[in-house]
Amino acid sequence: MPGPLDGFRVVEIAEGVAGPYTAMSLGDAGSDVIKIEPPQGDRSRGWAPSLDSASPVFRTLNRSKRGIVLDWSSEQDIETARRLLAQADVAVVDKYGLPPELGWERLNAPGLVYCAISGFGPQGPWADRPASELGTQMASEATSSLGNLGEPPVRHGSDIGSVFAANNAIQAICAALYARDDSDPSNPTGGQRVEVSLFGSLIAMRSTLWVALSNPDEWWGFHLDSYVKPPDHGYQCRDLPIYFSLARIRGEAFDSLIDELGMDWAREHPDYEKLRTDGAGGAGRYAAELKPLWERGFANFNADRVMEIVERHGGWAFPMHDYERLSNDPQVAAVGAIIDLEQSDGSLMSQIAPPWDFEGTPVPTPTRPVPKLGEHQSEVLRELSPNATPPKIGT
Amino acid sequence: MPGPLDGVRVFDLTLWMVGPWASTQLGALGADVIHIEQPSIDPRTLGAGVPPTINGTSIGYMTWNQNKRGLFLDLKSAADRQTAYELLQTCDVFLINMRPGAAERMGVGYEQVKAVNPDIIYTAITGWGEVGPMRDKPGADVQAQYFTGFWSVSGAEGGRPEVYRHMAQIDATTGNVAAQAVLMGLLARKRTGKGQRIHVGMLRAGMALQSGRIAEYLSTGDLHQPQGSAAFATAPDQAFQCQWGDWIGVSVTSEDEWQRFAAVMRESEAEVEGIDDLATDPRWSTNRDRVARRTELATMLQAGFFQRPRHYWMLRLSAAGVPCGYPISFETLQHHAQAIENHYLREVETSGWGNVWTGGAPWEFSRTSARWFGACLPGEHTGEILDELAARRATADEPTPVIGD
Repeated sequence: MPGPLDGFRVVEIAEGVAGPYTAMSLGDAGSDVIKIEPPQGDRSRGWAPSLDSASPVFRTLNRSKRGIVLDWSSEQDIETARRLLAQADVAVVDKYGLPPELGWERLNAPGLVYCAISGFGPQGPWADRPASELGTQMASEATSSLGNLGEPPVRHGSDIGSVFAANNAIQAICAALYARDDSDPSNPTGGQRVEVSLFGSLIAMRSTLWVALSNPDEWWGFHLDSYVKPPDHGYQCRDLPIYFSLARIRGEAFDSLIDELGMDWAREHPDYEKLRTDGAGGAGRYAAELKPLWERGFANFNADRVMEIVERHGGWAFPMHDYERLSNDPQVAAVGAIIDLEQSDGSLMSQIAPPWDFEGTPVPTPTRPVPKLGEHQSEVLRELSPNATPPKIGT
Repeated sequence: MPGPLDGVRVFDLTLWMVGPWASTQLGALGADVIHIEQPSIDPRTLGAGVPPTINGTSIGYMTWNQNKRGLFLDLKSAADRQTAYELLQTCDVFLINMRPGAAERMGVGYEQVKAVNPDIIYTAITGWGEVGPMRDKPGADVQAQYFTGFWSVSGAEGGRPEVYRHMAQIDATTGNVAAQAVLMGLLARKRTGKGQRIHVGMLRAGMALQSGRIAEYLSTGDLHQPQGSAAFATAPDQAFQCQWGDWIGVSVTSEDEWQRFAAVMRESEAEVEGIDDLATDPRWSTNRDRVARRTELATMLQAGFFQRPRHYWMLRLSAAGVPCGYPISFETLQHHAQAIENHYLREVETSGWGNVWTGGAPWEFSRTSARWFGACLPGEHTGEILDELAARRATADEPTPVIGD
């Protein structure tokens, strides 16, 4: 059974994270994705660490694609790209050196959904400014949720701006495909250009914060004081940190919890009333000042034991995994979040699975590893020859 | 021009954040999203009661229920359940984010909804998945951040990893992934003519968000330690402090950019040993060399950046095509041309809470515009929607089948 996007053809002219992630997702969902790389290859091939000459980021975000190489200093290669785009349903482009001939306005492709991903968005004074994950995290004030006031900025270590933009790009592409007129399947019309950016996506993802800042009844809650709270490292137990909150633990259950954690001393503490009532854990009103009290109690137990005690009393507790503990967690195995993808040299590489389950049009486990530079050159160009049957569209 | 999902109708049985954010996206894309609330809802529990409030309602509710119409339905009442089935016949999409089994108990499990409308794209969103030992555990952003290691790769250089103090990033990511899945389901229906059931969970969506970092761990077995503003995969790609104390974020992510960056540093005439020779110094030949000696390189560059103001560096680096940026606060951002001209931030009217600021649609469509409007009150459009159903009933050829419980 083919995936939900079976039959669509996607041409990707993009590097790094946002564009490749977008096209990978479309490929995982069943589209035929052709990735065009410059002669020196996608920049992320050379990112660290090196894994048999290509980085793990490249090897993950470029599965489910075929790859060719085109050189924008050659008019013939630009023409080849034009023809590939004319036969495609979707273009995913970013602004790393795209020749003007391949801009949306210059293509005569009435059915094409042309998705351009930029750093700062298509309008405004920064429309053409070069952008990066870090630059957009800073400009959208996303870095204000990390680190300490007055100290050097801290970025989120994951490529959140890029993946947020990719997730938005996937939505926009699918919506535009849905709005297209496919009544003549071999000649669709009603394509359009869609634009997304890292900056805009980071801002959209912080919408709760903007609403909170509009006109709050009272200045409190983590959507306001997250700016000024100190870094949150979780609740440290004897061995590992955990997340915990009282949830609805009150009254006798709270007394019993304190007893079982051996925190009798806390009853004499001036903050004991706050300890009883601030139920929201790390997000609570007094979380930062109460944490040392909880940690003094938790220091006598391993994380597993603390979580068991808290949950038995009606609270919430979750392990604070690093990627090693995450990848060994039975729940992760149960939901199949990590897959092994055979690489072209026969080795297996562990990667994150596509995040959707479709019962009617199941997404198969990805099987196509990243292309070697130009691996599918002759195959793709052969399909492009004037005599070849054009690829079927949306059927 | 109407939005790309014009004509699509969504039955939105979602609460808290993940589900409501998915339908907020679909509404922005032009779908008619009908957000269901129980008539007995305590307004203090809307939006999970996430603080702060505006006029007593959680800002969570009014963020996550934009671009919708509100309908009161009590799915425990036989009459309202019948209304729900009638409404479902007019819908293309069903969305729910409750723990496994809850939908069936309310009479809106997939089999029950499919009996009313076999073409429906039925999308269930869970926290931890529909299988496995954690399937019945509650899931919200903060737990997902901790559990998936989202906290483990950020923090001050040399310090302990720290949690991202905006507890909505994995919630909203899961909502976006669910909206994608709905759209893919609609596209598949165009081809196959069939509806289907879809599932999306926070655990896998949250892990997909971290695909790059997790792949690096899985490939090498090395856990990243926090390194402040510095990237793991590229160098130099971090913040530097400029003259007068301002910070600038500079990212060199390709060898081309490195050559251009090296030229800017040389032309700055900053007095730092070695800064004129970045392009030719064998220590910095490739990105991987620079990542391996990141601290050594950053120390030299920091000395250079400190000799010119930030504005100097922004001008020179931008002109050279080297990505850069700097921190902007909300007060500046909400009037910043880049945010306003792209409609990324906007002020919207609401029925109950005055004008509120919010992020806007993150897309620009050249033909079928996206839209963005303020949150509905719970049940705000009940009369209007029931009137539409009555009008439809008056002209229908066949009565709505009565579904047993």
